[in-house]
Amino acid sequence: MRERAGPASTAVIVDQPRRPDFDAIVVGAGPAGSAAALELARAGHSVALLERGPFPGAKNVYGGVVYGRVLDELIPRWYDEMPVQRWVTRRQTMVLDGERSMTVDFRSQNWGSAPYNGATTYRAEFDEWLAGHAQKAGAVLVPSTVATRLLRTESGRIVGVRTDRPDGDLTATVVIACDGVNSFLAKQAGLVPGDQAAHTTLGVKETLALPRKTIDERFGVSANEGVDIEMLGCTQGIPGGGFLYTNAETLSVGLVLGLRGLAESGRRPEEILAELKRHPSIQPLVRGAELVEYSAHLIPEGGYDTMPRLVGDGLLVAGDAAAMCLAAGIWLEGVNFALGSGMYAGRAAASALAAGDLAGLREYKRLLESSFVLADHKKLRKAPGLVLSERMQRRYPGLVCDLVEGMFTVENPRPKPGVRKLLRASAKRHGVTLRELARDALTGLRTFG
Amino acid sequence: MAARAWCSGMADPLVVVLLRWTDARARIDPLSGEVESDPRGAGPSEADRCALEHGLRIAEAAGGRCVAVTLAPEEATELLRDALACGADAVLRVAVAPWDPRVPDSGAATARALATAIRAELGEPSLVLTGDHSADRGTGSTPAFLAAELDCAQALGLVRLSYADGELRALRRLDRGRRERLAIPLPAVCSVEPAGLRLRRASLPSTLAARTAAIPVVAGTVEAEPVTAHAARPLRPRAKELPAPREADPRLRLLRLTGAHEEREPPRVVVTDDPAEAADELLDYLRGKGYL
Amino acid sequence: MNQRYGDISFEDRMAQVDFRVAEEPHIVVDTDVCRSCTTKACVHACPANLFVPTAEGGILFNYEQCFECGTCYLVCDGGDAISWSYPDGGQGVVFRHG
Ligand SMILES: Cc1cc2nc3c(=O)[nH]c(=O)nc-3n(C[C@H](O)[C@H](O)[C@H](O)COP(=O)(O)OP(=O)(O)OC[C@H]3O[C@@H](n4cnc5c(N)ncnc54)[C@H](O)[C@@H]3O)c2cc1C
Ligand code: SF4
Ligand code: SF4
Repeated sequence: MRERAGPASTAVIVDQPRRPDFDAIVVGAGPAGSAAALELARAGHSVALLERGPFPGAKNVYGGVVYGRVLDELIPRWYDEMPVQRWVTRRQTMVLDGERSMTVDFRSQNWGSAPYNGATTYRAEFDEWLAGHAQKAGAVLVPSTVATRLLRTESGRIVGVRTDRPDGDLTATVVIACDGVNSFLAKQAGLVPGDQAAHTTLGVKETLALPRKTIDERFGVSANEGVDIEMLGCTQGIPGGGFLYTNAETLSVGLVLGLRGLAESGRRPEEILAELKRHPSIQPLVRGAELVEYSAHLIPEGGYDTMPRLVGDGLLVAGDAAAMCLAAGIWLEGVNFALGSGMYAGRAAASALAAGDLAGLREYKRLLESSFVLADHKKLRKAPGLVLSERMQRRYPGLVCDLVEGMFTVENPRPKPGVRKLLRASAKRHGVTLRELARDALTGLRTFG
Repeated sequence: MAARAWCSGMADPLVVVLLRWTDARARIDPLSGEVESDPRGAGPSEADRCALEHGLRIAEAAGGRCVAVTLAPEEATELLRDALACGADAVLRVAVAPWDPRVPDSGAATARALATAIRAELGEPSLVLTGDHSADRGTGSTPAFLAAELDCAQALGLVRLSYADGELRALRRLDRGRRERLAIPLPAVCSVEPAGLRLRRASLPSTLAARTAAIPVVAGTVEAEPVTAHAARPLRPRAKELPAPREADPRLRLLRLTGAHEEREPPRVVVTDDPAEAADELLDYLRGKGYL
Repeated sequence: MNQRYGDISFEDRMAQVDFRVAEEPHIVVDTDVCRSCTTKACVHACPANLFVPTAEGGILFNYEQCFECGTCYLVCDGGDAISWSYPDGGQGVVFRHG
């Protein structure tokens, strides 16, 4: 039978190899994997970077913005060489309800010059660029190769992976699983807890072509500046959100939809996306654009409370494989967490290899805790629950729009109503008690504050 | 020319497989006609992959060497690494400088550059294999030009190719479902259709070895370009002449020319999942137009 | 039904994506299990629209234009109805933008 990687695949029991083929094997040439391989290769260890796509990035989809601060530590002056579409200088958070919307719009020209904040880029280009750095440092990239099963000794130590190629077993002292959201390797190692479907969302995206000048005009930007729009209330009551980003000559518009909610809704993802594109606030932005790619990918959105165990015997897990993605409403960040966790996994593995003691792999957890990776996730552990709650998804968008509409609708000669009165009325209309509102506000403050 | 011996006389028969590096999903700008190709999506065509598999098998059976050669820019290195991983004994890239995708390449020039490079770097080949024609505007003439350059036999568009007991046999499709069986004298240039065979999957050890192998490059020597493009222009259809309208009033003539105020049905796109409904729509349309 | 201006058909939508189709399917659906499934969650959730309900209550599945996302095996209510795996290395979907 052909070797395959899937939910039913299991680890293979093997003998402890006498001389491993490599010091380390990194599975997956996404941001996490390439960062890990880069750090290991820099430290002088031999490392194989396995990727199932024909080139790094071929299988990967995201919304569109890489927040680059973590790259400062990985690749000095990355902004001079990274393949960038536009530098984000304007960020909007939009709440939609029916045909209405309320937007918070922030612009900072500081973000448009070095050291920058975030950039839109295509994954096919970004991932290949980063893997190129790992290769230049000495890592061996092996494309078109699926890691199908972990190789494990009787005593439980992970000593390598089996691939789908003939004669395909590969051994190493350390294996780092950066195989993304489905991570069959972390599952084979028994590190993943619980019900994945409940904490996973489906992202669907359209890449739409428009002339560069049209994008500049519609989004109020010039030169290589770009816009990042995050949306709530555009998913027909399915827990999730939406996004719209500007690339040089395309837009990326998409939705993030909770799997359970989507399955129960009986709606198709591309239909819900079509509806978003017809919303009066979005339609003028995307009008007349030509579809150049339709894509889909899963996102682990559960955050801190749903992460797998990060360290196994001879195995580390990083990036989406470890659910290190922050996909809570106004945030959609994963590449930066993948880069950070991959980098620390690479460093922990490198020092454990240098010391000749695999117990040193535990250092990985400590490095993560003392950095933004786990600090942010711990701080925001309640965010997914709050943002994806029924109230936030179905009631607050309408409530907010009612409130603002009430404030700005001019009804002379009637005097303007007070905000408190408006709030009470619209909360009532949307079935939210003031007590719930206060509680959510408090949770929000504690979480985000 | 005396036919060079295949196995008997030659200790080390050389099988050369030519792979053309193309992007099968290149985008063509409808206005400028410019071709936008993406090296990430480029590689050998299915026919070329098939040729490589034939080459590997024949070289193995004849106890010879199989060398994969491409005339392509540096991005094509991956294609040669894959060929090495699949079992090619050696590879060679014939560099073209500078690579300009707008310049139409000619089979004759390609063949000359390849033949020169093969002779200089690898020696006289016993057999040269390629796909029947390249996926990008290919005419299938390159292998024929190559046979002329190398001064040997040619058999093009083969669907089956086998080697046994020092003899190369092939099958070619003819019109009306007929088949032609060929015994091919050597040396020869053969091109194959993408049929019957699939390129093997490279093993992990040979893939790893190929990832770090050095890829030899020689400069392509294209002396005279037989075809030169002076300028690439978008297609401009010739204007259609219409008789002048007969109306005396200039305003009416203008209206007639522009077609304003004329009753016209807007074009309609029909989408339905139901075949019966679709058939009804079509019939209605044809009836409405008076075809039925 | 007339198509709205600006909409494109699902086939055109999928035609924009590059799929290197493997000889063998990487996902196989056991339509016998599907016949007793009441939710048919896969039919709506699969972003590539590859699950087609048949008149007999089963499912017709095509593997060629699959994004390899994993949605179907996660939402499937039929236990082992779907045998899911990644296609062989280098085969399957190739995103140019992502
Ligand atoms: C719709 C959407 C929008 C998003 N928007 C943003 C955003 O705007 N900004 C942001 O920062 N993040 C965003 N994210 C999240 C971000 O994409 C991920 O968090 C990030 O890609 C995780 O990186 P990774 O390296 O862990 O995993 P991945 O990028 O998924 O990489 C995993 C790699 O492993 C390979 N692989 C998997 N299994 C195997 C195997 N068995 N053998 C060999 N190779 C294997 C895959 O081919 C892939 O290349 C978004 C995600 C989605 C889906
Ligand atoms: S993996 Fe995704 S695209 Fe493929 S069949 Fe399943 S749901 Fe559809
Ligand atoms: S959800 Fe699972 S069992 Fe139900 S129809 Fe779909 S594949 Fe079959």
